[in-house]
Amino acid sequence: MKDRQPTGTGENAAPDQSNDRWNDKYPHLGTAPIPIEPYISREYFALERERIFRNVWLNVGRIEDIPHPGDYVVAALTVCRTSVVVVRGKGGQIHAFHNMCSHRGNKVVWDNAGRCRNFTCKFHGWSYGLDGRLTFIPDEQRFCGLQKDKLGLTPVAVDTWAGFIFIHLDPNPVETLRTYLAEVVPGLEGYPFSELSATRFCWRTEIKANWKVAQDAFQEGYHFPVRHKASAAAAFTSETNPYCHFLSLDLYERHRRTSSYGNLDYTPTPVAGMAYQFGSSVVVERGLAMDNLPAGVNPTRRPDWSIDVFWIFPNFSIFPSNGTYLTHHFWPVSADRTIWETRTYFPKAENAGQKFSQEYSKVLLRDILMEDGTTLEHMQDVLASGAKTHMPLQHQEICVRHAYNVVEDYVGFYAGR
Amino acid sequence: MAESDWPAAFSTLQPFLGWALATEAERTHKRQTSEMADIQAFYVAMLSHLEDVLVYLNQFPLERLPSHAQQLMDMTLSLAEIAPAVELFGQPREDDTFDPFRFVPQHH
Repeated sequence: MKDRQPTGTGENAAPDQSNDRWNDKYPHLGTAPIPIEPYISREYFALERERIFRNVWLNVGRIEDIPHPGDYVVAALTVCRTSVVVVRGKGGQIHAFHNMCSHRGNKVVWDNAGRCRNFTCKFHGWSYGLDGRLTFIPDEQRFCGLQKDKLGLTPVAVDTWAGFIFIHLDPNPVETLRTYLAEVVPGLEGYPFSELSATRFCWRTEIKANWKVAQDAFQEGYHFPVRHKASAAAAFTSETNPYCHFLSLDLYERHRRTSSYGNLDYTPTPVAGMAYQFGSSVVVERGLAMDNLPAGVNPTRRPDWSIDVFWIFPNFSIFPSNGTYLTHHFWPVSADRTIWETRTYFPKAENAGQKFSQEYSKVLLRDILMEDGTTLEHMQDVLASGAKTHMPLQHQEICVRHAYNVVEDYVGFYAGR
Repeated sequence: MAESDWPAAFSTLQPFLGWALATEAERTHKRQTSEMADIQAFYVAMLSHLEDVLVYLNQFPLERLPSHAQQLMDMTLSLAEIAPAVELFGQPREDDTFDPFRFVPQHH
C-alpha cells in the first residue's frame, strides 16, 4: 500500500506551443480536408482487403493467450474471408493455419479458444497434428491417389515480437515482422509487457461503423473535453491544456506514436483515490516511477504525462502507461461493420487491494470507451448521405490525416484520378 | 457462510450481500438495472468501510479467500463497478452512451 495520495499541487505547464502545430512538422501530408469516400465505399473496402489486410502483418494476440502446448486461439479474419488458428505446438513453437479442413473445407475449430491434442474435423473426422500435418483419414482406402503428406492444414506466416503474436496470410512474406515493426520497436523496446500481461481483461463488440471511423476516434484528444466531459476530461485536460494537446508525436512511414497529457492538478474521486492507495491508477498516478519506463515511452519525460499510443498499421494499437497497458483491435467486417476488441493488461494482483484497484481502472476505462462507442455509429449513419464529401482536420488530428494517407498509399484509390 | 465468520466491524455491510457478484457481467447487469437510490446507498455504506475492508482482505492469500472474505472482495469489485455511476454520471449509465450490454466481457 502506498502512503501518499496525489496532492494536486504538481506543476502544470502548458505543452510547448511550438510543438502544437503538427501539420508544420509533416508538410508532406498537406492540410486539405480528407475525403469521406474511404469510410463508406464498398469499392474502397474491397481494395483495402486485397492490398492491405492480405499483405501486412496482423496482430492476433499475445503469447500468454496460448501458454501450453495445444492451446489455441482463432482469429476470425472476415476481412480476408478466412479464419486462422494460432496454436502452440508440442515443442512450444507457435504455428498458424487457415482454419479449413483439406477435405471439403469445413472449419476444423469452431470455438474461439481452447486446448487440444490434435485438430479433428467434425464433418468426416479428418485429423491434424498441432503442426498442421494430416495424421488420420477415416476409410482412407476409399480415396483414389490421395497425397496425404500434401494435405496438411494450409499454413500462414506467424512470428512474435515482445510477446505479441502476428500472422501474415502470405506463408512466405517478403517482409519480416521485425522489419515491418522497425519504426516502432525502438519506442517500445524494454517496456515490461511480459510482467504486465499476467492479468488480462478483454471486451468485444460489433459496431455499425467502418473500421477507420472506429479507429480514428482514438487517434486524437480533441474530443476529450466534449465527449468525455463527465468521465475523463478532468484527468486529461486542464486550464493550461483545455483541448488535450499532445505532448509529443512521431509519424512514421506506416506506424505512428503519440504521448498524451495528464492533468497534475486533477483531484481524484473518493474511489479513484482508494484505488490509487491500494494499487495504481492511470488517472491519478502522474510523474511517478518514470524511471521504470523505457526511453521511448513518454520520450519527452514530461511529468504531466498520462499514456502513449503506438499505432501499428493497419488495425492494432498499444497504449503503454505506467504499470498498465491496453490494446485495441479494429477488425473490418464490411464497409460499415467492425469488430472492436479492447484488452487491458495488469501485473498479477498480489492481494485484494491490488485486485480492487485493477477492477476500478478497468471499469473506468470501459465506461470511457462507452462514451466513444456511440459517436461511431451516429457518424456512420450519415457519412454516406452525400451531404458532405470531405472532413476538415486540425493540427491535433494529424494522426487521422496520417492514417488516411498511409491507407491510401496502399490502396491507391485516388492514384491517377 | 457461517454467520459468525462475518467480521462484526462490517456488520452494516451485510444488508448489501446482493452486490457480492463474481463476474463483471453480473456486476454490470446489477448496476444497469438498479435504482440510483439503491446504488447510492451501497456506495455510501461500502465506501465508509472500504479502507478497512481492503486491509482486512489483504491478510488472506488472494486465491484462497474464505467464503465470507470472497463475498466482501466481490462487494469491493461491485463498488468499483458503480463508482463511475455515482461519482461521475449521477445515473447508472450516461445519456447517449454505448449500450453497455453490447460491450461484452470475454473475461469473468
